Amino acid sequence: MKPGNVVKPLGVFAVVIAVILAGTAVAGTLTGSGAAGTPDGASVDGQSPGAFQPSAVLAENDPEDGEISLETDTEGKRILVDSSHGNQYDRADLAPLADALARDGHEVTFQGSSDGGFGGGGYNATLQGVDAVLILQPTESFSESEIAGLEAFAEGDGRIAVLGDPPQTSMGSGLTGSVSTTRFSAQDLAGEFGLRLGADSLYNIDDERNDNNYESIYVDPADGQLTDGVDRMQFDTARSVIATDDSATVVARAVEGTETLERRQAARYPVAAQNGNFVLVGDSAFVESSERYDVDNEQFVSNLLEFLVTGDKDEDVPSAGGSGGFGGGDSTGGNSTGGGF
Amino acid sequence: MLYVIVVVVAVLIGTVLAPVVWGLTQQSADDDPDVSVVTLRGGTSASNINQVTEELRQARTNDSTEAVVLRVDSPGGAVASSEEFFLAVNRTASEMPVVSYVEGTAASGGYFGIAPSDAIYVKPSSVVGSIGVTVSAPLSTVEQEERVSKSYLRTGPDKATITKDSIRSEMETLQNAFLNVVMEHRGANLSLDRTEVARGDTYLGPEAVQNGFADEIGSLSSAVEHAAGAADGIEEDNYDVVYHEPVEASSGLVLASEDVERVDGDIVYVDAAEADSEFTEPVEYYAVWGVPTGDTTGVSPNETG
Repeated sequence: MKPGNVVKPLGVFAVVIAVILAGTAVAGTLTGSGAAGTPDGASVDGQSPGAFQPSAVLAENDPEDGEISLETDTEGKRILVDSSHGNQYDRADLAPLADALARDGHEVTFQGSSDGGFGGGGYNATLQGVDAVLILQPTESFSESEIAGLEAFAEGDGRIAVLGDPPQTSMGSGLTGSVSTTRFSAQDLAGEFGLRLGADSLYNIDDERNDNNYESIYVDPADGQLTDGVDRMQFDTARSVIATDDSATVVARAVEGTETLERRQAARYPVAAQNGNFVLVGDSAFVESSERYDVDNEQFVSNLLEFLVTGDKDEDVPSAGGSGGFGGGDSTGGNSTGGGF
Repeated sequence: MLYVIVVVVAVLIGTVLAPVVWGLTQQSADDDPDVSVVTLRGGTSASNINQVTEELRQARTNDSTEAVVLRVDSPGGAVASSEEFFLAVNRTASEMPVVSYVEGTAASGGYFGIAPSDAIYVKPSSVVGSIGVTVSAPLSTVEQEERVSKSYLRTGPDKATITKDSIRSEMETLQNAFLNVVMEHRGANLSLDRTEVARGDTYLGPEAVQNGFADEIGSLSSAVEHAAGAADGIEEDNYDVVYHEPVEASSGLVLASEDVERVDGDIVYVDAAEADSEFTEPVEYYAVWGVPTGDTTGVSPNETG
């Protein structure tokens, strides 16, 4: 074979290889890195971080057992749920309370002074017909005659429980964004009994000391009838109770580490207090359906109802019109006193 | 005949050699390793995070990428996608150095994602922190759970409704997962304890460096240098910086679902509002630095920002 006969096939051989390799190189460059390499399975590597494991993340819920029940020797007591001071509550939330009272032989009425049409006089006439008053988050002030009437009511062994919340600000819609704030408006009334609500909301950021939210603080009871059988309570919208009179006693205190929302001052704030026949609680949410049975709240509710029905009020207390030395009778339900703060 | 044999032999040999050439083309033009810069500007929405996780996946599978720099300006978003962000960064950080640079904000879900970084660089205006979860739920499904008019029927008492207690419990569970991640990955640096972190405060760059939410004051280049310095496969300054196309918010509403359809692989994203015009989710959890806008009497999950 001549050298020329070898060179030609070799040349063709080289050209074909060169074309194939060049083509491969071009194709490989154009398609980029993702098209080849290790199979997908080789890069599949799941992770299950310890930080995400159920034991590390699942929140614990407090038991919601127990029931609201009264054990009293009394019967036939009438409890007025105040409805004439812009009270913020849902009547449906009070149904289990009304049921428990009914089972113990008592009666609940939602009547307010507006039904009487005589301002303070009408309210006090209503008070005459009842044995106890439950006042939930009033947002309209009590008139002087109403306060005098309630004071006489308590002096006559009528029972009063006031439940208040921190101020709530709501934003209106629209560009102007009007802001309105509803406030607890029974400071003047509470003041007559040596008590008032603190200005600030309470919270507790420590998971061990709240019920799954910094606002739902735990509350420890002091000794007394109102907290009999209660180991711990939970208040959802708590506010401190301040005593301005030595005769008032603390019913419950926030647990350690509780702070005020604005000033961030930590203390074991009193959140419920009693002065004779008057009880002031710095939270009204504990009667609501979502909180009522949390920890021992149901027992506190039961005790509070027992407190309300175990007074011994005379029929003619307070005297009609709220007059008789209590500075009443001159106001007809005006709201100018501005008890909130 | 001879030529046929020659060509066939050449083809066979060429086929054998082709993979070798192919392999050579898979390496970059020069042999320098890369630091890959992945940018997230916008909320941790599902579509944004899907892009980021895809780029991180590429960084992991690309042999020339030796380190990743995350350039972040994100106030967070839905908890679900914020967790995806974290998982993608966590995995990447287990394979190569990941250094974060907080261009603007890395708060809430944005911080969730960068927590596993080897280092976090900030500048004075950077905002980090806001560790916590918020929830958005139409009031009709929460407050009046037992009293909603029977406009629809349900097979069980807990179907399509949610109680305040269960929202708080779920929110706490998600918060625990978030806090666990922050404490695990940043705990050694943090001067704050878990309870203080849980307050959900935000911190500007200088304060963040002091309390351990961030590591250094610096620029994007500082982060790149750090990443390159920590990479095993990079010697001195012999590396390239590869910038991926930034993931940017399509609008100012960080929480708004994208109204443009997106197709990523086999996953199709459509505007949630359009797809679910008949129903809204009873509850949606966000790891976000921000407050819901709009009418507070009935917050729709898809209209918060």
